[in-house]
Amino acid sequence: MNFHQQNNTRRRREAAVFGLLRASTYLVLLCGALVVGTIVFKGAPVLFKAEFPFINIAFFTEAPETLHVFEHDGKKLELGDRDYRAFMENLAAPSASQPAVAPRSEHAYVYSVGGIFPCIVGTLLLVAGSMTLALFLGVCSAIYLNEYARQNTVTRLIRLAVLNLAGVPSIVFGLFGFGLFVIFLGWNVSLMAGWFTLAFMVLPVVITASEEALKSVPRGYREASLALGATRWQTIRKSVLPYALPGILTSSILGIARVAGETAPIMFTAAYVVRDQLPWQVAKLTDFFFQGVMALPYHIYVVSSKIPQNEYTERVQYGSTLVFLLLVALIAAASILLRNRLRKKHSW
Amino acid sequence: MKAPKPTSEKTPAGEKPAGGAPASGGRAGRRLVPGSSFSIMHSSLVARLIRAAFGSTALVALLILALITIFLFREGLPFFRDSRNDLVLYRRAGLEYVDILRRAETEHAALVRELFDIRLRAFQHFTDDARLPVADANARLSAFDDFAVRFGDAIGPVRELVSDIGETAVAIKTRAALRHDKAVQRRQLLDAGKTTEAGRIKIEPVDFQAEIKPVLDTLPACRDALRATGDELGAILSASGNTGLPPALASGRMENFQARVRAFIAKLPAIENELAGWRADAPVPWHASARAFFTGREWTTASFWQDWYGILPLLSGSLLASLIALAIAVPLGVGAAIYISQVASPREQRLVKPAIEFISALPSVVLGFFGIAVLGELLRSLSQTSWFAWLPGFPIIERLNALTAGCLLALISIPTIFTLAEDALTNVPRALREASFALGASRLQTTLRIITPAALSGIISAVLLGFGRVIGETMVVLLCAGNRIAIPDFSAGPAVVTQPVHTMTGIIAQEMGEVVHGGIHYRALFVVGMVLFVLSLLINYTAQKILLRHRLPAS
Repeated sequence: MNFHQQNNTRRRREAAVFGLLRASTYLVLLCGALVVGTIVFKGAPVLFKAEFPFINIAFFTEAPETLHVFEHDGKKLELGDRDYRAFMENLAAPSASQPAVAPRSEHAYVYSVGGIFPCIVGTLLLVAGSMTLALFLGVCSAIYLNEYARQNTVTRLIRLAVLNLAGVPSIVFGLFGFGLFVIFLGWNVSLMAGWFTLAFMVLPVVITASEEALKSVPRGYREASLALGATRWQTIRKSVLPYALPGILTSSILGIARVAGETAPIMFTAAYVVRDQLPWQVAKLTDFFFQGVMALPYHIYVVSSKIPQNEYTERVQYGSTLVFLLLVALIAAASILLRNRLRKKHSW
Repeated sequence: MKAPKPTSEKTPAGEKPAGGAPASGGRAGRRLVPGSSFSIMHSSLVARLIRAAFGSTALVALLILALITIFLFREGLPFFRDSRNDLVLYRRAGLEYVDILRRAETEHAALVRELFDIRLRAFQHFTDDARLPVADANARLSAFDDFAVRFGDAIGPVRELVSDIGETAVAIKTRAALRHDKAVQRRQLLDAGKTTEAGRIKIEPVDFQAEIKPVLDTLPACRDALRATGDELGAILSASGNTGLPPALASGRMENFQARVRAFIAKLPAIENELAGWRADAPVPWHASARAFFTGREWTTASFWQDWYGILPLLSGSLLASLIALAIAVPLGVGAAIYISQVASPREQRLVKPAIEFISALPSVVLGFFGIAVLGELLRSLSQTSWFAWLPGFPIIERLNALTAGCLLALISIPTIFTLAEDALTNVPRALREASFALGASRLQTTLRIITPAALSGIISAVLLGFGRVIGETMVVLLCAGNRIAIPDFSAGPAVVTQPVHTMTGIIAQEMGEVVHGGIHYRALFVVGMVLFVLSLLINYTAQKILLRHRLPAS
């Protein structure tokens, strides 16, 4: 009986400790769900609406505008910048029926109406350019490290550099990009500067991911190819890379999420608070690469810190945040789809 | 987990058959392509070129690390030169002299604030506890008010002197700065080859010795003013009999206050001596700027008087926010890792692991926005309910503070800590677990006493890497930490967590856009970046070392 009792308390203690551990696990998930849930809950009404076409198209296709809130003629009016100007001109024009009444209790909230189209475009451009750069550099480095190089001081140094780069804070990459690209090379605040800064930031992620993927390709593939007389490069191109590609993409998804999500590195290298032209409205082709863009994460930073929190500004704040989350999810989903197709094509 | 793999895998297969060297492509070609010697040479060259191309891209990682170092130091290091020049000017122009005198004024001001606080308490006592009408309460305090007014006026002579000499000193500094600007302009013109324009710029030398004389001549006046203040304060203290304060305040805080005043009076001669011993031409040591940066308690920029770039407020803010984050994230992250790797069913594992990785994909600016829009207000309203009133620092005054930022930073670091710790726990050899069960240990005992200690080095390095992630995080602290540049008041005990702070990453992000390129402020921000960079390398290095040193032999 004594043994039984002891066993019982022991079991109870075990259940209690494991229950606590389980609770902490689900607490973490709950916090994450709370953040996402709040943003979806408050942002969805901005993005979607009940009647056809169910999506707030203006929010996706227009540029941000200043919102003017005022009372006129006993009515409360909320107008965007362009409408507001037209309205005021109308008001100034003498009309017989109505004496001119100045609008009262007027408030202006910047960026609070219109859409976030330029920001979406800018973010997509930044992600596409920097991921192309990072994937190229990263995959080539990994091929060298895994397929060509022997273990020696140089490769050890390179691996050490990759490990350490992974821990460097993103704001330091921003400072570095600012010092090198923006100031020293004179690229100013531009897409190019942003691409390189972001690419350098995710390079460690891509290199590590690609190396893992290359390592997982069975050794027999290389040996068979070499034995048939293919050169090293032919072997890599035909019998290693196609099989490693899905793995490389899988792990690069994390890199893409990071590139799309980081604000600190682009703050002084690529992002503008506001810009009227869209990226393709440039005089000559080279201007395209040396122009700053609006970017969604930076826009979120601006609208959440530089304008007050109230019912009028909340729409753009939650709306842009939700679009941003969706965009990151979309990019990730696209790479997962791509990976699955590749995997089906080259499986072993 | 990763490191031993390449050595075991590479040596036999990956390298040997190819020979590894550039000759390998050539040899393969010779055997298989029976062409002319030219094509053999050609294919060997191509193979070599391909190899070199891949090799050079691999060097990019090294190159980037080197470039980061070079550019941070290139932009940052001149700060110490500029800052030293600034400190020299601070001394030559006599600003330092004024600041010595100003110390008396500042400390007196602190005493006056204490008096106001005492009056507030007394007033509350009379109106709330004794339920007196406002007029009566004020009448009761009239004696105290007379005392306070007289006390406040006592510093008058010193204050006048500070503002007078201050004007002189600032004028000297402005002239020197003007001269410096002209010199820069002339140098630029000379560099551009415009000698005539350069010759037209007249630079009048600043004769510091002559200019500083009026400042130094005020020494007797300063002495008199300080003595007068001391005497007056002493007289006020001995004259203050019954101030009409409630007895508790009179015996407690008021006596304490009087002791502080006496200490202040005793300190005045020291200030006097310091003024007398001050020399405008005393040399400024070469390390003065480094000391001012690394031990400076003030970060004051764009002031008309003197800018100070001291990293301590930012460093302490960064550390405070990170420690709060770790205090939350370590139990949760490690707990979750233990649960998922040791207790959870495979199905639960498959559900939870991607979910936590999903949290790591949440962009930090989104979390920062959540903090501003929801969490800050949520925490504040929670802290105002009576349930949580017993917690230190509650109710929270500022909506955005170190705690708000710390909670969100915890959410950022949990995935890092969880993933790495879970890896370490899963990689503990099965044999250990089985042996423990075989000896009759329960699941709990095995988990807590065998598996966790065996994976401890991995868990510690996971926590360190989580720390590195948090201290380098920018957007969350920029948006949610409150951005007050001051060393948190650690004397408040645990309540310090509810104070607003500013951080190293936050200050770079906030001020970098507004500074003059090449200016001293700009360079100061780069030095902060250097500190962050070195700190992150150190953390990373330590984490790797711990992981490698205490690695268990693979089963």
